[in-house]
Amino acid sequence: MQNTNENFSFKKYAWTQFKKNKIALVSLYLLFALVILAVFAPYIANDRPLYCEYEGNTLYPAFADETRTDSIYNTEGEFIQVLQYDIADWRQLDLTKVVWTAIPYSASSMDRYNRDYASPSGKQRFKNSDGEIIDIPSKFRHKLGTDGIGRDLASGLIHGTRISLMVGLVSMGIASIIGIILGALAGFFGDTKLKMPRIKYWLTLFGVFMGLFYGFGQRKYELADAFSDGFGAGMWEMLISILLIIVITFFFRLLSRLLMFGKLSMEVSVPIDTFVSRGIELLNSIPRILLIITITAVVERSIWIVMIIIGITGWTRIARFTRAEFLRIRSLEFVQAAESLGYSSIRTIFKHALPNSLAPVFVSIAFGIASAILIESSLSFLGIGVPDDVVTWGSLLNLGRQNLEAWWLIIYPGMAIFITITIYNMIAEASRDALDPRLKS
Amino acid sequence: MLKYTLKRVLTFIPMLIAISLIAFIISINAPGDPVERLSKAAGNEGSAEQQSGASKKIKQELRKKLGLDLPIFYISVTDLASSDTLYKIQDKYHKANLEELTHKSGNWAAVSDYYKQLLLLQKQAQKVDAKAIVTKDNTLSLNSVNEAVNQFGFEVGSLLEITEEEIVANKFKKMNALVSSNNFLAHLSTPLSLVEASREKMFSNATRWKNYIPAINWYGGKNQYHYWLVGDGKYRKGLIRGDFGISYIDGQPIADKIWQKVWISFGLSLISIFLAYLISIPIGIYSAYKKDSAVDKGMSLILFILYSMPSFFVGTLLLLQFANPDNLSWFPVSGIQDPTLFDSEWSWWVKLKHRMPFLILPIITYTYGSFAFLSRIMRVGMIDIVSQDYIRTARAKGLGEGKVILKHALRNSLLPVITVFSAIFPMAIGGSIIIEMIFSIPGMGLEVYNSILNYDYPMIITVFTLSGFLTMVGYLVADLLYAVVDPRISYK
Repeated sequence: MQNTNENFSFKKYAWTQFKKNKIALVSLYLLFALVILAVFAPYIANDRPLYCEYEGNTLYPAFADETRTDSIYNTEGEFIQVLQYDIADWRQLDLTKVVWTAIPYSASSMDRYNRDYASPSGKQRFKNSDGEIIDIPSKFRHKLGTDGIGRDLASGLIHGTRISLMVGLVSMGIASIIGIILGALAGFFGDTKLKMPRIKYWLTLFGVFMGLFYGFGQRKYELADAFSDGFGAGMWEMLISILLIIVITFFFRLLSRLLMFGKLSMEVSVPIDTFVSRGIELLNSIPRILLIITITAVVERSIWIVMIIIGITGWTRIARFTRAEFLRIRSLEFVQAAESLGYSSIRTIFKHALPNSLAPVFVSIAFGIASAILIESSLSFLGIGVPDDVVTWGSLLNLGRQNLEAWWLIIYPGMAIFITITIYNMIAEASRDALDPRLKS
Repeated sequence: MLKYTLKRVLTFIPMLIAISLIAFIISINAPGDPVERLSKAAGNEGSAEQQSGASKKIKQELRKKLGLDLPIFYISVTDLASSDTLYKIQDKYHKANLEELTHKSGNWAAVSDYYKQLLLLQKQAQKVDAKAIVTKDNTLSLNSVNEAVNQFGFEVGSLLEITEEEIVANKFKKMNALVSSNNFLAHLSTPLSLVEASREKMFSNATRWKNYIPAINWYGGKNQYHYWLVGDGKYRKGLIRGDFGISYIDGQPIADKIWQKVWISFGLSLISIFLAYLISIPIGIYSAYKKDSAVDKGMSLILFILYSMPSFFVGTLLLLQFANPDNLSWFPVSGIQDPTLFDSEWSWWVKLKHRMPFLILPIITYTYGSFAFLSRIMRVGMIDIVSQDYIRTARAKGLGEGKVILKHALRNSLLPVITVFSAIFPMAIGGSIIIEMIFSIPGMGLEVYNSILNYDYPMIITVFTLSGFLTMVGYLVADLLYAVVDPRISYK
């Protein structure tokens, strides 16, 4: 394609190419829809109404904090009851005005009148505000049915969107950070280009060892305590540990300047490419799903830990692509120009080389998201890794497998997984064609 | 070529050691105590006293036999405060508690003193004979005495496992109250105060600076990993002589267990890969031949969509449709044979005929997974070949289109497909966990899944190492096959 426009940019070109693929464009819109669904999940599917009038009080329960507790007085100022937002049964309160969410059920709340796999088309029961059991009003119908303990499937699917998108983002975020850094270093330096005085090399290795010792070895109880308090606190402590490791490593690197004499100051090359390539080979020779299942069986059950595990086992593909791209780029003029201008290697790698090598990496990240979602749903399907009270698409499908009569627990979650994976694969494939015409099939 | 092969095989060794180490590191962190589980599996019923006496000895022997009383690896990295003999303590929870206490106090001598005092107290508390007390002093009821004694025993037992300051203080308070309010426990007050004193000493004599100095302990060849690898010369022969150890679930040799199951998974993956090739190669050729036609475009889209369909969804859908009394009950739901009908004396043909209906759905699911992928690869490879010069030459010299495609193009387009074939070996050993679980096929996948859930780590390590080995062999075989199929590639 001839382009004589002076403002020609690669991004614009890639975007025009991408737009030509109509299916991929539709996939992109669908992805936006999924993101919106995930972000607004609590306002789409929730037990608590968006707005209601109760005994003359105007409440916005869906927007309030889940653990909120209100003392309700009527218009004459008489005390009626203490309203605990998370356990109150809003459907049975005598609400004068009410706006429900589109699906008036939360993902994990159990409707005890529709237990034992209420079918979407079958009879469903409902307890009205007078305490009578009646046929369900169409507003409160479980439109996609329920599972064995009365959880609404539609709500579970919408909240599952959140988890599956988060799995893709977090795990591939981790994988790309590891993969891009390692791949870039390996590809840029190779086995011979990273040279440093012998003493610096040994002291850096020693520094990393000491850093791990102080950062993880000596802080393991702090870390364990923080992670049992919550994921945020745990990550904070983890960040401190990682910073500590970096500081200690740099301390030992600085220390090496004092010992720069004789044979110790002789330049040696660091075989960083060998390290990284062997690491990739090693990780690739263990079946990934086996590795992930084994680790998840040993550690605590948490969706965050599952994401982290998927991330740290999934970086090899990204690293391979980055490495290959850097091997190609490092001999190009602009990198040599940057080097001859005396820029530091770090600056050359991350500021000049990396932005020009991201296209194939981006594609492998997009494919990686699809496979991360697939792995998470496989794990939930097997019933490991994710705690039982977290509703995910895979765990819903697993419930369906155990009770084949509940076809809605198989079809709907399965389709949700399938469509999401297809969307990501479509986008990945189209962006591969758009970003790198050489690879086009 | 031979030199190249040998060179590649040599690189297997460090890789396998690394893989087995990874598996080893993961599994030693697994919760639970294998000895407890094994001795439970052996069926050690009996009263509490019997258990504490006889079964303790059995457990100790078992521990020794399994090598669990040894350090884990050749070296360990700890700090100066920690003891290098901590591995000798058998109870996993005691060990963790002691480790944390040492971390807090930095004084191993004081910590081990505290531990000894606690064990002493526990021993004395266990000696208290409720019946004797009641016969001596008949104002007491057996129940209340038993309750007090049990309560005391419980508190001591939990002290051995708990580190948190506040809870421990609370426990001491409770024990002191028990001792002072019950006369028959009075003789425990001295050891109890000794325990308290030693605990205080642990913190007053703390040497926390020791925590910050790393120490490397060398244990030599007497460690679990070494014995697992080369054997201990007595009970085990070690991995390098083909002994994978025994399962912690039922005590069976792991090699036997794998040998029984591996055929099912291997057979399934062999059949399904064969079928996948049978379907996908013609599809790939046809799409490439009619490139950019409506058929090709439609086929590509369908294949792409199929490719994104998770196999566990496909498997469940098949069950829902074809093995479900509500829809079509054509196939049995689970297993690979009907235990009421199956006879192991049958000839293999009858066996196969009997098993066929059980195997059809799993084979479809298995095949499905690789078929979409293979067809796509095949199509891309074929398109690449068809645009090569020698194909144009073949056409130019007047060869028929069928001959050009089938004779000249096909052979070369098979190259990328070979890669997939190499995946079949590790699949046999690891099995497809998900598919075997959906259809309850008693193959390696289900076996591995169960051993992971039961922390049967000799099994897990073996499977890791074997499948790592087979993956590498698969890669090597694929690379060698490349050279055989394509004379342009050579490893000289």
